[in-house]
Amino acid sequence: MRILTLLLLCILSAPAPPAGAQDSEPADGAPIESAEVLGFPADELSPGLRRDIDGLAGKPLARPDVTQLARRIEEERPEVVVAVRIDARDGGGVRVFFVVARISDDAGLGSNINARYVVESVEIEGLKEHEISAALRDRLQALVGTRLDPAVADTLVEELKAERPGYVVARRIERGTRPGQIRVVFKFSETEGLRWIPFAKPRSKYVYHSDAGWSGLQDIPIGQRDQRVTLGFAMDDNDTLVEEYSGVRVRFEHRHIGTERIAASLEASWLNNTWRAPTLAALEANPLVAEPYRQRITVEPSLTVALARHVRASGGVSLSSLESLHDSPDSQMASAVTGSLVYSQRWDRDRRMRQSVEAGYDVRASADGLGSDLSYTRHLGHARYEFEGGHSNIIADAFGGGITGGAPLFERFTLGDSATLRGWNKFDLAPIGGNRVFHSSLEYRFYGAALFLDSGSVWESGGRRDLRASTGFGYHNDNLFVTVAFPLNAPDAGATFMIGVRF
Amino acid sequence: MTAAAAHVWRVALLALVYAASPSLAAAQSLTVRAAGDMLQVRGTGLRLIEGAVADHLKDGRSVRVDFEMTILDKAAQGAAVTQNRQSFTLSFDLWEQRYAVTRAGSPLRSISHLLARDAEAWCLENMAIPITAIGRFARDLPFWVRVEYRVQDQPPQVETESPFTLRTLIEALSRRRPDETPGRTLEAGPFRIGN
Repeated sequence: MRILTLLLLCILSAPAPPAGAQDSEPADGAPIESAEVLGFPADELSPGLRRDIDGLAGKPLARPDVTQLARRIEEERPEVVVAVRIDARDGGGVRVFFVVARISDDAGLGSNINARYVVESVEIEGLKEHEISAALRDRLQALVGTRLDPAVADTLVEELKAERPGYVVARRIERGTRPGQIRVVFKFSETEGLRWIPFAKPRSKYVYHSDAGWSGLQDIPIGQRDQRVTLGFAMDDNDTLVEEYSGVRVRFEHRHIGTERIAASLEASWLNNTWRAPTLAALEANPLVAEPYRQRITVEPSLTVALARHVRASGGVSLSSLESLHDSPDSQMASAVTGSLVYSQRWDRDRRMRQSVEAGYDVRASADGLGSDLSYTRHLGHARYEFEGGHSNIIADAFGGGITGGAPLFERFTLGDSATLRGWNKFDLAPIGGNRVFHSSLEYRFYGAALFLDSGSVWESGGRRDLRASTGFGYHNDNLFVTVAFPLNAPDAGATFMIGVRF
Repeated sequence: MTAAAAHVWRVALLALVYAASPSLAAAQSLTVRAAGDMLQVRGTGLRLIEGAVADHLKDGRSVRVDFEMTILDKAAQGAAVTQNRQSFTLSFDLWEQRYAVTRAGSPLRSISHLLARDAEAWCLENMAIPITAIGRFARDLPFWVRVEYRVQDQPPQVETESPFTLRTLIEALSRRRPDETPGRTLEAGPFRIGN
């Protein structure tokens, strides 16, 4: 009986449901000669339902009534599904069959109840059809007219992913236009890694450093696929520069200037600056270093070109007005031509293993033509490698740079914060920063438990260069860090505690 | 008001409503009853078919859920007296707008035309434990019941840039690894067979 039922279900092209109707079926109004339940003992149905099924005989065919009876069988016996078959007879009459099958007797139905429905259409979202190979398109379309097989549909998802790497492919099904039929939709979502030029990385962070205190930066990006506006708020950020600053900035980005390989951006910021006592004292002792300022207003337009899939070059200018801390409202201009070259690539072997590399070189050179009062050139090279496998992460990071001339204080290099030489205090190491820097960091994480070793040096060209190192442990994930760090070669090896979020 | 600001307000308001609603937080409960020679557990507040799982199902996909029911001799860290593990596959009938559940193993059991809460309850009912398996606790000694479930099938994660919202911050702080699965644990007691 079970095999017979399954066979019948397969034979019926529209095994369903309630309301499933077929093109070749007789029209409503034809006299019903008989109505039968197949695949299930009719005496296990309630007497009222049996009576109503038997009562169909002799009445004119009305599909809504038949559909309603099929639904009543399913509601009364929720372990089954019912398909309606209506056979035309020679004399103009019809026979109605309620073909019943237990869900648990059919692996497809057991894994997804929608496997009872016939695929009306297959659609692709997020990609043009011609961007998929003809062979795969044909296989997708071959689903039409068949009962949905979730396993086959999932196999097709994997094949689509393999054919279009960089996209996330999801399958969903929806009701079709006719009862008992469904539409299968394969949706492609472009990942950021497919874009030629990424938007600027968000800088949001809230950080506490036991030596330097709280720092906060909040970026609020608002935008769509190609354009974005980012509002930024800085709240006493002293984490990365020798200055502490608060203020606002706004950044416009457009990454489709005629082509996806050209992007433009414009950033403007209004920042009020304060200075730590060690910095002010060191500045007094070093008159050759540029003077501190109470306000920094900066405008930075730039253009980026993707030279290859993983290589981008940028060029622009940076115009900063620095209002003197001691002689306000006097101000200086620090205007520079900027350029950078970046290589970045990521390899996803599977969901559990990925590697990424990013390396780049930045240069900022003051230009008389831009009215700069300060004359300098700043070079910075950096590289970062990340490996993620299972629950382990390895992060190796290094950078080095040099400045010639008298650069403004915001351009000077520092070490000893929540990301570099963790365990050292930058206001002890170099309160006015330095014009030379080198830093490397190696970190290992297992289930977020992190161990790291940082080393580096920041110094003044021609001056003494001391290599410092630190180590520590903590809990680090992509966004949250809780770190205890120790300087390794300091006379006073006290611990530094840091906690924060970056996102 | 920008779309982002409106979203922040909406999420904040929802969070406030949620925090102020004790019924949502306190609605979980388990009860037990002897049905013949089986111990059956019923529960409310399982909250399995909601959020991402409900969205996944309403996209016509199925979701496998692994349940584990443990009878404990004490609350919290009590020793396991007996345990039952069972997998269920849930799907949502797009035309009937009702849920269907299939219990894995032998014999397979299936049911359809269920509302979300009834589908959750059916899973629990189908994890009944023989009363003989709980030994001396069948003789009017108190015991506790712990029900855990893990959702095994998740929709693919679409990598996007993350404009800041309260939700993205919360997600960022609590981000799961891709191979981690959402789930829930409910525990209740003491129960006695005589109750």
